[in-house]
Amino acid sequence: MSLDLRTPASTRESSPGHRRARVLRIGAAVADRLSGDAGTIGRVHSVFGRALNIETLDGRLLTLHGPGPLRAPFAAVIDRLALLRAQRPGAPVAVEPGRLRLPGLTLEWGGATRVECTIPGPPPGLHRSVVDILRAFDPRRAPALDTPRGVAARAALSAAIVSGAPRALVSAARALLGLGEGLTPAGDDCLVGALAVVRAIAGPAMVGAPAVARVVAHEALHRTTALGREFVIEALAGRFSEPVLGLLRARSADAAAAAARALAGLGATSGADTLTGMRLACGAFA
Amino acid sequence: MAQTTVVKPGAYHDSVALLRLARALRARPGVREAAVVMGTPANRDLLADAGLLTEAARAATPNDLVIVIDAETADGAQAAAAAAEPLLARSAPDATRGGRSRARTLAGAARRMPDANLALVSVPGAFAAAEARAALAAGLNVMLFSDNVSLADEVALKRHAIRQGLLLMGPDCGTAYVAGVPLGFANAVPRGEVGLVAASGTGLQQVACLLAARGRGVSHAIGVGGRDMSAEVGGLMTLAGLDLLGADDATALIVVVGKPPAPEVGERIRARLAAIGKPAVACLLGRRVAVGTEGPVTTVDTLEDAALAADARLARTAWRPRLFTVPGVEARIAVARRGLTPARRTVLGLYAGGTLAHESALILESLLGPVASNLTGAAAGDPEGGSPSHRVLDLGADEFTRGRAHPMIDPTVRIERIARAARRPDVAVLLLDVVLGHGAADDPAGDLAPAIEAARATARGHGRELAVVATVVGTAADPQGLAAQTARLEAAGVWVLPSNAQAARAAAAIAGNETVRAALRAGGSA
Repeated sequence: MSLDLRTPASTRESSPGHRRARVLRIGAAVADRLSGDAGTIGRVHSVFGRALNIETLDGRLLTLHGPGPLRAPFAAVIDRLALLRAQRPGAPVAVEPGRLRLPGLTLEWGGATRVECTIPGPPPGLHRSVVDILRAFDPRRAPALDTPRGVAARAALSAAIVSGAPRALVSAARALLGLGEGLTPAGDDCLVGALAVVRAIAGPAMVGAPAVARVVAHEALHRTTALGREFVIEALAGRFSEPVLGLLRARSADAAAAAARALAGLGATSGADTLTGMRLACGAFA
Repeated sequence: MAQTTVVKPGAYHDSVALLRLARALRARPGVREAAVVMGTPANRDLLADAGLLTEAARAATPNDLVIVIDAETADGAQAAAAAAEPLLARSAPDATRGGRSRARTLAGAARRMPDANLALVSVPGAFAAAEARAALAAGLNVMLFSDNVSLADEVALKRHAIRQGLLLMGPDCGTAYVAGVPLGFANAVPRGEVGLVAASGTGLQQVACLLAARGRGVSHAIGVGGRDMSAEVGGLMTLAGLDLLGADDATALIVVVGKPPAPEVGERIRARLAAIGKPAVACLLGRRVAVGTEGPVTTVDTLEDAALAADARLARTAWRPRLFTVPGVEARIAVARRGLTPARRTVLGLYAGGTLAHESALILESLLGPVASNLTGAAAGDPEGGSPSHRVLDLGADEFTRGRAHPMIDPTVRIERIARAARRPDVAVLLLDVVLGHGAADDPAGDLAPAIEAARATARGHGRELAVVATVVGTAADPQGLAAQTARLEAAGVWVLPSNAQAARAAAAIAGNETVRAALRAGGSA
C-alpha cells in the first residue's frame, strides 16, 4: 500500500462514483504547461453552464468547455460537458501523466489534438474580405464601450495604433482593461480584438515589444478580472481563440462572413466586443 | 438619499446577467440608480462618474462583484440589496438551474427537433440572410427577426421561399402568430377567426389586442417585414400570406396592416383580396386614405378602426369610426389645458413601437400641422433640437438602439428623454406607448412611472403642468397584466386611453387650439 501525498483524496479514481471524460482538443501552449506539471496544480476557479475555469498555482487559467472551436487559447475541449457541472469553485485539481483529475472526475488528455493558437510570422495580413466584413459589421457591443470613458479609450487605442507609439498603446490599454460588465470585461475583449488585427497586419514588432507586453501584462494583473487578464496576456503573446483566428485566416467573403458570425455569437457580448476591437484596429490601419 | 453596497468576492456572472440585475434593481420602488460591475479600477471610475463610488466599492478588487444601490431611503436601499441575491441566483448559468442546453447552430437545433417546420432567425443582420437561406434549404418556414438585411437578399429569400411553398416572415419581423403560437414580441390573445398579414409588429399587436378586448381571436398573423409592400419587393410575402389565409378554414376575415404600399402593389393586394372573397379590412397607414367599403374590403385609417371594423363585420353589425370611446374626454382635456400658455403647446411623442409612432405622427399632423420625426425624415438633424414643433420619436429605431436593447425591453433611453422633456419649457404633452406581452419588459409601466412622476414634479417646480397621455398595448392575459400596468401609469398621473389613435387625438386636443377641439367634437379633423 502506498500513500499518494501529492494527489488530493477527492480526486482519486478509487472514490465512489468517479467518472471519466476525454479531452478532445487543447491549446498547444496549455498542453505544454500541463505536460511539465504533476500533482496538485490548482483549484476550480468558476463553473458555468458551458465552461469550467481552473486557476493554476501560478495564477494562470485553464478553461474546459464542450465540443466546438477553442473559445480561448488557454482552453481545452472535452467530450462530456455535463460532467463539469457537478464541480464547485475551490475544488482541488491535480495532474498526472496524460490525465487531469478533479473531484469525482478524470479527464484523459493523452490523445487530445494540440491546436496552435498563434498567428504565424511573418504577419499574414488580412484578406480583403475580412477587411470588408469588419468594416460592414457594427455589432451590438457592451454598453460600457459606449460610455464617455469607453469611447475615449477606444479613440485612444485607435490613435495609438496609428502612431505606433508604445507609450500611447500602454496608456490606451490601461484605459480599456477591466472596463465593463461581465466575466471578461468588454474593454479587455476590445483590446484583444485589436491586438489580433495588429498582430496579423504588423506582426509582433509593435505589441510584442517586450517592454510593451510586460507593462500591459503587469497592468492587467491589477486592473481586470482573472479571466480578462488571461485573455490579454495570451493576446500579448500572440495567442487567440479559434473564432478570432478563424476570422483572421478567412480568405473568401463566405468564409469571412461565417467566421465573423461564429465570433459574434461568443459569450454574452464577448464576441461582439472582440469584433469591435478588430474593427477599430482595421480602421486605424486603413 | 442612501447608498448601499454589496461586494461579493469571486462571484462571476456574464454581462447580460449583470445588466439584467442592474435593470431589475433600478425598477424597484424608491431606487434612483443601481450599478452591478466587477470591481476593476476602470469600473470604479465609472462608478465615480455616476456618483456611486462608495467606500466599500472603492475597496473592491477586480475579482469582486460590486452592487451599488442609490435609493431615496436607507430602508429602500437595504431592501433592494436583499433582493439582489435571489435575482442574481435566477440569472445563474443553466447548469445550476438544470436547464436544457441550447443548440448553437441551425443544423444542431434541427437535429434535436426533427419535426420542426419553422425557424426563428435572430442574428446580426450581416449574417441573417445566410441563416435564413439555410433554414429554407432545410425545408423550414422562416421568421426573420433580424434587421439590416439588404433589399436584394430580402427579394431573393422571398422568391426562394415562394418556390418552395414556404413562408419567409421578415426581415425585421418582430411579431407573428402561427397556428396559435406567438412568436417574437407577441401578446397573449385567444385563437379565433381573424387572420392578419402585417408589415408592422406593433401595429399587429395593437389590432390583435383590441380584437381580444372584444372577444375576438387570431387564426394566424403573418408578419412580412416593413418593406414587403414596396415596389422593389412587390408584396411577395403579403400576397403569399393572403393566399394562405384565404385557403385556411379557420380564417373567416382577413386584416392587412402596414404603411401605404407602392401603387402597383396596392392594386395587386386589392385584386387578391377580391379574388379570395372573404371579408377583409385594410389598414395601410398613410396621409390620404380613402376610408370606406368596396366589395369585400373595408378600408380604415387607424389601427383601432381595423379592429373595430373587423369585429363589426364578423358580427354583421353596422360600424362607423369614433374618435373617442371613453366618457369624460372633454372634462379631462379641460383639466389638462389649465395653465397652458401660447409658448407651451408642443406635443412630444416618445415611442417604443415604430408603427404606433407612425400612426401618432399622422394623426397629430392632420390635427396640428407639421410634425418632426425620425420616422418620416420631416425633421432635419436632431429631431429633438431646433425650434419648438411637435415631435414623434421612434426610440426603437437603429439610431437609438445601437449598443443597447430595444426600448420594449430596456427603458433607459426613454427614461432619459422623459427627464429631458420635463426641462423643456415648450413641451405641453408627453405622448407614450407601453407595449406588453411575451418578450417585452417584465414591468414596463413600473419602469416608466417613476420617471414620469419625476418629470411632472420637475415641470411643476418650474411653474408648469406636464400632461402625459399614453396607451397600453396589451391584454388581461399578458404576463404583465393590462389592468395592473394601466393602474400603475394612472397612479403616476398618466391619462391612459384605450388605443394609440385616441391617445394621439387627446394629446392634440390638449395642445391644440379651439379649432382642433371643435373638429374633434364634430368627429372630423381640423
